[in-house]
Amino acid sequence: MTESLILGLSSGSACLATCGMVMFPYLMAGSAGVKKIAVDLTLFLLTRFIVYFILATLAWYFGRTIFSNPFIRNIVPGILYIVFAVLLVWYSISKSRKPDCPAKIVKTVNNRRLIPILLGLVNSLGFCPALFIILTQGATQRTLFRSYLAFLAFFIGSSLWFLPLPLAGKIQKKEVLKNIGILATGLAGIIFMIKGLTNIIGGIING
Amino acid sequence: MDNSLKTVALRKSFGKSLLYTLPMFLITFMFITGGKPNFSDPASGLAMLTVFLLVNVLYFSMHFTGKTDKYRAILFIIFAMSLSYTLIHNMLQVRQSMSFSQADILECKIPFCHLVIPMMILPAAFTKSIIFPGSIIGGFANISSMVVLWVIATIVLGRGFCSWGCFYGGWDDGFSRLRKRRVIKNISELWKWMPFAVLIMVMLSAALTLMPTYCSWICPFKAVTEFEKVTSVESATKAGIFLSLFGGLVIALPVMTKKRTQCSFLCPLGAINSLSNKITPFTVKIDKNSCNECFKCVEVCPLFAITREDVKKGNVSLFCSKCGKCVDACSRKAIHYGIKGIPAGTMKNFSRNLFLFVSFLFMAIFSSGSIISTFQGLFKLIF
Repeated sequence: MTESLILGLSSGSACLATCGMVMFPYLMAGSAGVKKIAVDLTLFLLTRFIVYFILATLAWYFGRTIFSNPFIRNIVPGILYIVFAVLLVWYSISKSRKPDCPAKIVKTVNNRRLIPILLGLVNSLGFCPALFIILTQGATQRTLFRSYLAFLAFFIGSSLWFLPLPLAGKIQKKEVLKNIGILATGLAGIIFMIKGLTNIIGGIING
Repeated sequence: MDNSLKTVALRKSFGKSLLYTLPMFLITFMFITGGKPNFSDPASGLAMLTVFLLVNVLYFSMHFTGKTDKYRAILFIIFAMSLSYTLIHNMLQVRQSMSFSQADILECKIPFCHLVIPMMILPAAFTKSIIFPGSIIGGFANISSMVVLWVIATIVLGRGFCSWGCFYGGWDDGFSRLRKRRVIKNISELWKWMPFAVLIMVMLSAALTLMPTYCSWICPFKAVTEFEKVTSVESATKAGIFLSLFGGLVIALPVMTKKRTQCSFLCPLGAINSLSNKITPFTVKIDKNSCNECFKCVEVCPLFAITREDVKKGNVSLFCSKCGKCVDACSRKAIHYGIKGIPAGTMKNFSRNLFLFVSFLFMAIFSSGSIISTFQGLFKLIF
């Protein structure tokens, strides 16, 4: 759970840094006041929560089916962790050079009311390496409840960054925060790389 | 008017330098000998005398030559090496090994160091407990004395602690001086924010797990102090990490870049110390009237604290550790030690004298114990 929360917190900052400026105008455009902003943000976060809830169930179900053998249960997730962690590190570094956000497809939607929900959907399903890592995490849990907990921790960690979104215009030194967020994402990648390596070695030693 | 006329010579005459060294002479004498020199043990007496002379000769040289970094670095590097020697020597005497066991953790016998401080803040605030398995008061390297020392030094020196007080900084500082020229020249500005990312990660993970995660998993200086006994895949992974980080960030990269890469790219305490630069009275200033924008200071800064833009603006960033390398490199003395509130280009000598006295005195007192122990061991070995 701790790892999931840290992953959420670190990747959430980079996600906000790259996507926040695309999402912000759509979430806030035409808003009359705090109430409207709060409603939009709640819809956005609620959508993400539901998507993660579904993903936690699916991940655990497939994990239980695929990783039934104890040897495979260590080795395969270990390899997946390493692959996705390498992708996460690469993703964080390349993002620093060329910011791009999947949420920009929302620009094509005309219905204003649907925008927060669509943004939540795109944001939670924007298949970034951090999501792949949390899917692996969910798939390797012993019980469905633990899979939910892992996703919940990831959801909380990444959502915290979106809460001050209405104040985004007033935040000074965005570039510095973005840089720190990008580097933190890279560090989270390294943590999961080590976790993957430990899983593999442990799996080989324990047979 | 020729700008060179405005430059201020920082070097002093022999007599004046001696006069400036006198207070340091008396205070270090009191601290090193405790007011009563004891020569009953020749090795101990000789070690005390050597350290006393070393410290004062270095301080005198700073005034006499007008150079800071060269003499600071000598004591700083000796401090780092002697601290490791003292710690390892102590560990070998107490445990017969550099590694510690789970029993040592349970008995709170792990020596404390300042790098743990960032991890202690959140757990201490929320649970009112200290997450490090060390002794709070008494014993070797206890928590309270180290925290008090760090707080005082940080308030007074800001990130200057990293160049005048940190007993690890001397390692990468030393390695960064081995080559004359840099092998790696272009390093992205982005990396200097890494300590802040590490700080966030270790503070959060320590708060969530109530474990000193940086010490357990990352700290490269375990290679020269102590480490967990390798008994499992996890402890072997930890050993692999700290050895790689020590080899990479403390030895290889400083040699190739001539920068203190561990301090610049990893140390979470460095990030906190950088923020403390905002409250400290001492700073490094750029006198724009004297500066000819040669950017030598940018080139020599070991902590990426000065960029070309900073020089043009006449500011030094909060990453500055006041090591004095840029001050020594500037032929026009446009970059100099200063005191907040006093305009750049004025009272250069006064500011330098005051800063040197405070910072060098701190380093001399802080380091003397472990250097004396090291010299004592060395003399016993020789004679």
